[in-house]
Amino acid sequence: MNVKLRIHTWRRWVPWLSGMAAALPLLCASAATTGNAAAALTALPESKPANAAMVNLGRHLYFDSRLAGDWGSSCASCHDPKKGLGDGLPLSAGYTSMEYFRNAPPLINLRHRVRFMWDGRLDGTDAGTAVRDMVTEAHFMNADGRIVQERLKQIPEYVNLWEAAFGKGSDPYSPRMFNAIGAFIQSIESKNVPYDRFLRGDTQALNAQEKLGMAVFNGKGNCVQCHNGPIGSDGKFHRLGVPEHPDVLANPLRTLTMLRHYASSGMPNYMAARTDVGLYAISKDLQDIGKFQTPSLRELKVTAPYMHNGVFKTLEDVVDFYDRGGGGNGTDLRPLGLTVEEKKGLVAFLLSLSGDPITVEQPPLPDLKARGNFGKN
Amino acid sequence: MTLHRNFTIAAMLAFSASLALAQSTNKTVALAVPPLATLPPPSIPKDNPNTPAKEELGKKLFWESRLSGNGSMPCVSCHLPNLGWGDGGAISRGYPGTKHWRNSQTILNSAYYNKLFWEGNVTSLEGQAPAAAEGAVAGNGDSSVMEMRLRFIPEYVDAFLKVFGTEWPRINDAWRAIAAYQRTVVTDAKQVPFDRWLAGDKKALTESQQRGMTLFNGKANCIQCHNGALVSDQKFYRLGLPEHPGFRDDPLLQITHRWEHYQKGVPEGQYRNAPTDFGLYYQTKNPKDIGKFRTPSLRELKYTAPYMHNGVFTTLAEVVDFYNAGGGKDADKSPLLQPLGLSSAEKIDLIGFLEALSMDKPLLHDDPKLPGDYKPLAPIKK
Repeated sequence: MNVKLRIHTWRRWVPWLSGMAAALPLLCASAATTGNAAAALTALPESKPANAAMVNLGRHLYFDSRLAGDWGSSCASCHDPKKGLGDGLPLSAGYTSMEYFRNAPPLINLRHRVRFMWDGRLDGTDAGTAVRDMVTEAHFMNADGRIVQERLKQIPEYVNLWEAAFGKGSDPYSPRMFNAIGAFIQSIESKNVPYDRFLRGDTQALNAQEKLGMAVFNGKGNCVQCHNGPIGSDGKFHRLGVPEHPDVLANPLRTLTMLRHYASSGMPNYMAARTDVGLYAISKDLQDIGKFQTPSLRELKVTAPYMHNGVFKTLEDVVDFYDRGGGGNGTDLRPLGLTVEEKKGLVAFLLSLSGDPITVEQPPLPDLKARGNFGKN
Repeated sequence: MTLHRNFTIAAMLAFSASLALAQSTNKTVALAVPPLATLPPPSIPKDNPNTPAKEELGKKLFWESRLSGNGSMPCVSCHLPNLGWGDGGAISRGYPGTKHWRNSQTILNSAYYNKLFWEGNVTSLEGQAPAAAEGAVAGNGDSSVMEMRLRFIPEYVDAFLKVFGTEWPRINDAWRAIAAYQRTVVTDAKQVPFDRWLAGDKKALTESQQRGMTLFNGKANCIQCHNGALVSDQKFYRLGLPEHPGFRDDPLLQITHRWEHYQKGVPEGQYRNAPTDFGLYYQTKNPKDIGKFRTPSLRELKYTAPYMHNGVFTTLAEVVDFYNAGGGKDADKSPLLQPLGLSSAEKIDLIGFLEALSMDKPLLHDDPKLPGDYKPLAPIKK
């Protein structure tokens, strides 16, 4: 696929950086991408054997709101197993009295993520660090990890689970606590996915409409260009020109969270931002304005709404967006010219990337108890 | 004239205090200490001058709940004017989901301290405000979040521009404004019986209170540490106070107790075996400083119960009984603490004098009118 960057629209999109925009054509001259003939959407590999005791501990902590500074939310508040491990909202809620400015992504098949977060600021191979970021970040759970660690020590059930995971006599310690939750979220995987069965030889696993969609996915629609590998993500960053969710600017709580994220990321001129700049806030490379990491295409059946800001409610909306060639603003996308049947097939195929319903058993919430041996900690 | 007389009286008081001390105990050597005096106006740092507009802004910010983690814990939530500018509890309530581990001190006359917090870990009001607003068991706010919130409240944007001349509010200026406001929350000497007495009004103290003053400066030797205009030497002592009982059975207090040790960076052995609040030790890591706390002012005691760093005494009578017994059962307590042998009548006199260090009526401030909701930012002009 031959793609040209449209610098004139891009320049219009970021007037607040127009002073620097003169340098853009030079930077972009080498940015045109070429087709990736080898890219393919592959089957999910077999699960790695997990440390069951760590996963069990992590599952308990995942649902416990005492991991939040003010006990107002748990991991499950924004990554609810009943809502596809997201929150079902376009834009996530965030900490008490705050509102977040991006969509809560589903925590499914995380083992295959290259980076975490829409702007890719965290390493996908280190789930524990991502958990730490969520628990301690002011706009998510705003907790001091060391306080959370001390809270766990007052819950005898957790102390037992801890010893089962980390050995007799070891006691709650925040880095390990984050790793236990990381082990749990990495254990949440798609199961019995029609497309995977098809790839493994069950030709009946996909129907005719889904097979038509697969052909569009790999051909005319060229979805596979970016949505490839076992979870349908190249782990890279692309500018689609997705329309901004109006609430990001209309609701000052969201804007202030966004600008504060930029400020604490060290982004220049953050007070002038009036749209989500994505990767740029992390890389500070002008070419990265408006780029977000390719999301997984697995479990789309239960993970609406879609895109980094949840601006599309249905897969039909998403397919129409790509069919139009995206939203301008310097995107690499171009119109696809899909027929109605092709669009329907594509949506059907995308849904065939979802497996059996994912269930997570929510454990009971044990109480904090006084420790009888004050002074022997 | 007044100054001269004050000086004379003060010098006499100091002399009699030393004399009484020398007579009452042969274990300690009395040191010359500054006599009690009337507070001067608080000193104002050159880099943060007070202006009416800054004080008004600081007052609003003191009440501003958005200067906390979850928008529920302004400064005033633990420093309420009608509770003596503390929170009335033995241990401060702390951030939601936590309890603090020490008593919420009055901010009355905090302008005069050169060390703040019970372990003296900050040295200015400008440094104290963020430590409280950001502390995980107090305000639990993130400085960059709090700063950004102010930038989305047009009334604050205007006020910060007027007071500090910045395009956008800066969080350190918020702390400066709060500090400037706190420098207005000070004792009015005209309303304090003891200060009126110092100024020459012989009827300002009752006879009982005058006897109490003599005890304060003499037999009870309170003046040894509670001296000068602030009625505090701002030094650190170990009194052997009883532990707050909650640490034995309240999980939230036990959590904070361990967390404080963990985050203050004590060695693991101390963290695992800490049976008490080590006080100044956390700052110096010197074992000699274990259990030492900074002498609090004795001004405005009428309104600031309960007392001590852990609020363990509810009444001044309990405090006086504690000192009369020579402090706590603690082999390592300050040698300055000795049984005083006060009679019941003397205790009443002493308490009467302590109360005469408070204003006739509590200093109260009305709630300020706070700015409204967050507003969207204006579009960027091309």
